[in-house]
Parts: sequence; structure tokens; C-alpha cells
Amino acid sequence: MKNSLLIAMREWRARVWSRSFLAMSILGPVAVLVFTYLIFAFGDEGEQKWNVLVTDPTNAMEGKIMPGKDKSVTYSFANTEIEHEDFREGSRYQEFDAMIEINRKVFENKISHVFFRDIPSARLRTKVQYQVERRLEEVIADEKFGISVQRYRKIKRPLTMSFVDLSDPYGESNSLNGWVGFFLGGVIILFIGLFGMTILRSVAREKSNRIVEVLMGTCSSRQLMTGKILGVGLSAMLQFVVWIVIIGFGLYWMRETLFVDLLDPRNANFEDAAQQMQNQSYAAKQFSSIEYNRFVDLVYNKINFGLMLSYFVGFFIGGYLFYAAFFASLGASMGTESDGQQFVLPLVFILLISLYTGYYTMNYPGSTLVEWLQYVPFTAPVVAMVKLAQGYGENGYQIYISMAILYASAVGMLLIASRIYKNGILQFGHRLRLVHLLKWLRKT
Amino acid sequence: MNETLLEVRNIRKSFFRKEALNNVSLTVNKGEVFGLLGPNGAGKTTLIRVINRIIEPDEGSVKFDGHLMEANDLRRIGYLPEERGLFKDMTVENHALFLGKLRGLQKKDIQNKMEFWFETFQMNDWRKKRIEQLSKGMAQKVQFICTVLHEPDLLILDEPFSGFDPVNVELIKKQLMSMRAEGKTIILSTHNMKNVEEICDRAALIHEAKKITEGTISELQGAQKTGLYAVRFRGNMLTFVNALWTGFEVYDKTEHGDNRFTVRVTMRNESSFDDLLNVLIGQVSIESAWEVMPTMQDVFINLVQPVSNEE
Repeated sequence: MKNSLLIAMREWRARVWSRSFLAMSILGPVAVLVFTYLIFAFGDEGEQKWNVLVTDPTNAMEGKIMPGKDKSVTYSFANTEIEHEDFREGSRYQEFDAMIEINRKVFENKISHVFFRDIPSARLRTKVQYQVERRLEEVIADEKFGISVQRYRKIKRPLTMSFVDLSDPYGESNSLNGWVGFFLGGVIILFIGLFGMTILRSVAREKSNRIVEVLMGTCSSRQLMTGKILGVGLSAMLQFVVWIVIIGFGLYWMRETLFVDLLDPRNANFEDAAQQMQNQSYAAKQFSSIEYNRFVDLVYNKINFGLMLSYFVGFFIGGYLFYAAFFASLGASMGTESDGQQFVLPLVFILLISLYTGYYTMNYPGSTLVEWLQYVPFTAPVVAMVKLAQGYGENGYQIYISMAILYASAVGMLLIASRIYKNGILQFGHRLRLVHLLKWLRKT
Repeated sequence: MNETLLEVRNIRKSFFRKEALNNVSLTVNKGEVFGLLGPNGAGKTTLIRVINRIIEPDEGSVKFDGHLMEANDLRRIGYLPEERGLFKDMTVENHALFLGKLRGLQKKDIQNKMEFWFETFQMNDWRKKRIEQLSKGMAQKVQFICTVLHEPDLLILDEPFSGFDPVNVELIKKQLMSMRAEGKTIILSTHNMKNVEEICDRAALIHEAKKITEGTISELQGAQKTGLYAVRFRGNMLTFVNALWTGFEVYDKTEHGDNRFTVRVTMRNESSFDDLLNVLIGQVSIESAWEVMPTMQDVFINLVQPVSNEE
């Protein structure tokens, strides 16, 4: 073990003191922050037009909506209740993209359902919510309490709009949270891919310049492989910690400076807001601020980062060990430093598939396939992170089974890989073929 | 009686269907320089790897200092492979520190020993340089230093002189001789037979996975001697030939000028070296006379070629 630690520390120092590590440690999180900023600021710039039917059986809204010049949303009103199944199937409703339910309950619980055919952009959702809410405020303030809109806004409870996909009316997915899980899963795959390739290249280089024979004169091939995986893994963890610190600090800074909640009563001046309500550019600014809220709220409030990060570390370590053993044995099997590219491609392909399964999980979290994918060690890190973000991990036993299978597979993979590593590391000059790997695997 | 340090017994090793070592046994005594000889692909490197526990033999055993070799014994061995590498991104000093620690030394010890070796090889100005900045010869010195830094009892050197200029070859030889004087044991695998003659006490020759012979250098040369004797004299060549009479036959001669000759002769019948001197004394002025021994180069070629010719 001492030899493995010495080798690990050498690897760690070699990685950490390299320029590429420094660049990746700074540029990586900065890129993430810039990307996050862009999503916050301009995420839904593309115009999507919506033809909306408002069902208002009590005619509370009197067929009116908040005044404005926005042409992207067209409202029609119906003074009857329409079931969402009828809306989905009925031929006369096909011209509408969405249906908003405004019934008596809305005035009590402030929850309105919006049934849509195609997923609306966040900007569009915000716009609709904003416009409907403003009209409702007028109605409620005037009819229920007899006070001014401005006064009402100070005491109101905000409207919650529940957007329901007509093809998935019971709303199994929580896609926005899922994206965070997908992002974290993607980071796992990115790190595994980057540091896995580092292991592969490093093993192949040491093999080709024969230092490996000097090392093997002192320690066993298993110690050598363990040290290599451990050292590179520790540098990956360090980089991850640097990422977390920089991204965490960056998000905090953005919250405090760039994305202060404009609609938060503590920050907003609603007197001015009412006066400038007709000003489209200001309204647009308001929409944007609501969008900020959606993402900022997601990032800062909705995601349980403590839970997510602890599982992230668990799945990252398990996934890294599982894949790193693969990369190390492949590096040890290469006849020359440039050999073995044909085996790298399938590995990259597997990583990409695993990334895709995360995307699939976001869209179909309850599907049988996802149930299985969360137990497959190749895909478990991403699938589990997405499912965790969607909220199943807090009291679900599956997450523990998934992690247990992943770690058991990682141990199995390390044993298999160490056999290939041991038998392949001192074979030179051949052109790597599958038959070599099988032979070295069989050989004791 | 010599004390055995390393005993290799009946080692067999095959790589898939190719036999690399076939029942190889040899013994290396404490404090000797042992030459491991053989043509390319004979199995020397495989044997060295087996001794270093880098690969496991299919059959046979390796005893080190009286017991079956264990992983801990590797710390008493210094191994310099033929195709040796270094971590190019490390400094000379860090490289030595890393390998020293790997062989169980404390940092302080390593630093003390580095002082000595960097001084000996005049490398003090290079200790902070990265390996990739060194010349090939300088890098090889680093490799040698890293091999001997932990003062191993057994030093296994695979072609240690390759790539060195003559000055550095002499420097390395001097260090090896000094280590032998301190009681260290050295296994030297080389194709340079001149070096074998100069510094090896004993040697074994491996060819086509089998050990062909083993013994002291003089035993190996003696086994291949051709019965030639040489006489260096001053006088008349005709008188010399007449003196030989029927007991001896001239094999070849070299004229040095000023009536000086070196003549190689073979014995006829039961004639001995003494008989040769007896017939010549008084006839020519003998400056020196000796039995012509084959060089290790001759021994190597004589032993390897017949086997090759049988194929």
C-alpha cells in the first residue's frame, strides 16, 4: 500500500503542477459560470408564439388580459369548463397551443393549471404567468378586497402556474431540476473521460519509455495500477473541489449582484412599476427578472446541493474507479503509444451513451428502462444523479442499490483490469487486438 | 568456499507457445561480478525479469540469500533494465527521491547518498533540471544513480555501458569495481565481451532459452582453448623453425622488424609447453611465451554458432 501511495502522490503532483490542470481548474468553472449567466440572462430569447385558450366559467376576467403590445401570446376566452382530455382531443381546440384554467379555486389557492401541447420556453411561461397574474390581481384587488392593485400587490400571495404537458398530464417529470442532475452527471462523465484518458496516455507513455520496468523491479503491477488510478483520481477530486469553490462563489456573487430578485417585495418599487406598466421595455425587463428568479430559485433554493454533492462524490468515485480500471488496462495493453485508438472509441461511445441515458431519464424518469439503467454500472452515475435531482433519492432505497452495484462492479473491474494490466504491461511492439486482451485476461 | 547469494533453479517460462526459458539454473556468489551472456532473444531479459519478480516463472524457483525470494528482497536489488526510462517531467533530484522512497529509503538518507553520487558523476549543476532537459548520457547517469542509490546487495545491470562515451564507461566500471570491493554482487548482462573479460569473475551463456555453459571466465576460455602457444623472440626465423623439429608446427607468424617475431605454434604428439621452451632456449632469444587463450568474443561465437548451424 505504501508503494501505491508513493506512486499516487507522484501522479498527483505531476498532474496538479501541470499547466493544463491549472487551466482546466480555472477555465472549466469560469466556462460553467459564463454558460449559467447566459442561460440566466438570455436563455429563452427565441420567440415562440402561443395561442392560448383561457377557460373562465365565472367570467371573472371578463375576457380581458393585462394590456400590452406583446404579440407572441394570443388569448381567447371560454366561459365553460373544459376537461384537458377534451382539449387535447377535441377538433375545435386544435388551433390552441395551451389552455389556462381560471376557476373559483384559483382565487382561493392561487394555483392555476396550464395545459400545453408543446413544451413552452421558460420565457414564454414567464410571460403568460406575468400577464395572467396581473389581470387576476386587478380582479381580486377590486372585487374581493376593494383595495388598489398597488396595495394588493404588497400583501398578495403570488400565483402559481402549474404547467401540465397534455401528453404527460400527471406530470411525472420535473425537468428543470432534472437538468441540474444531468449537469452533475455530465460533469462526472466529463471528468471520467478526461482523467480516464489521462490514465491511458500516462500508462502508455510509461510503458513506451520503459520506466515501468524500473518501477516493477520494486513494486507489483497491481500496486502500480492502483497508485496510478488513485493519484489521477485525487487530482480529479482536487480539480472538482476547485470547481465547486469557484462555481459556488461565482453563483453567490451573481445572486448578490447580477440577479437580485426584482420582484422580491424587499427589492421592488411597485409604485414605479405600476406607473411604468405600459412601458414594454420595462415589462420585458420584468419578464427577464422573473426568468432569473426561476433559474436563480432553482439553483439557489430548489436543489438540495448538500444531498446532491454528497451523492455526486459517491457516484463520481464509483464511476471513476469503474471506468479508470478500463482505461488503465487499455493503456497497459498498447503495443505502442499511439496504438489502441480503436479501443478508445468504444469507450468514448459508452461514455456518450451514458450521458444520453441521463437525458432520457430527464424525459422519462418513471420508465422501466430507466429503472434498469440506474442499476447498470456504465450508466448509473448519470441516471442516478438525474433521478436524485428529480427527488427520488431522499427516501428511495434504489439509490443505495445502484451505488452498491456500482462499487461492486468497480471492484470486479479493478480485478479484471489488473490481470490485463499485469500481463500486458511488458508486452511491446504488437498491434493491439481483442484477442490479446482475452489472452491476458485468461492468463493467471 | 564461496557463499551463494542467488540461486536460480530449473526455471521454465513460455509466452503463449514460445519458450523463453527452458530449465535454466545458475548460481551467483556473493561479492562476484557475474556475466549473463547470450545473443539477442536468448532469454536473458526474461531471466532477469523472473529474478526481479516482474514476471512469474511457469516452473522453477529463485532463492535469494538462502531463502525463496520474496517481495521484500527486491529492496536489496538494484535493477537497471536495458531499455530504461525516466519520468521526463520530473527534476533529477525529485526522480532520485521518488525511486529512493519506493525502495524504502528515508528522505534524509536519499539526500546524503545523492550528494555522494552527484559529486562523483559531477552532476551537482543538473540536480534541479528536468529530465527532458538532459543529454542522453547525462540521463543515463541519472538512471545509474537511481539504480545504486539504495546500496543494493545485488545489482542487476542490463547493458549498463550502452550509450556512454569511453570516459563515462571507465567511470562506471570504476564504480562497479569499487562496489565489488565492498562485497556487493553484480549481474552484468552485456554483449560487450571485452567488458566481460575485464570485470566479470564468472559468467553463464544462455542461447535459445537454454543455459549452455557457466563458470569462471578462465574456465570458459579454457574450455574453448585451441592448443595454440605463442612465442615472442629475437633471432633468425629459420633457426626457430628448425628448432621446432617434429614436435611442433608453426600456426602463423607476425614480424615486428629488427629480427623480432611473434609465432604461434601448435603441439604435435605429446609435446608440452615446457618441451617447446626447451627446444627453443639457446636457439633464439625468447622475450616472452604464453598459452594462447581464446577471447570471450571467441568463446561466445564458438558456443553460439554451432547451435545456430544445427537449425
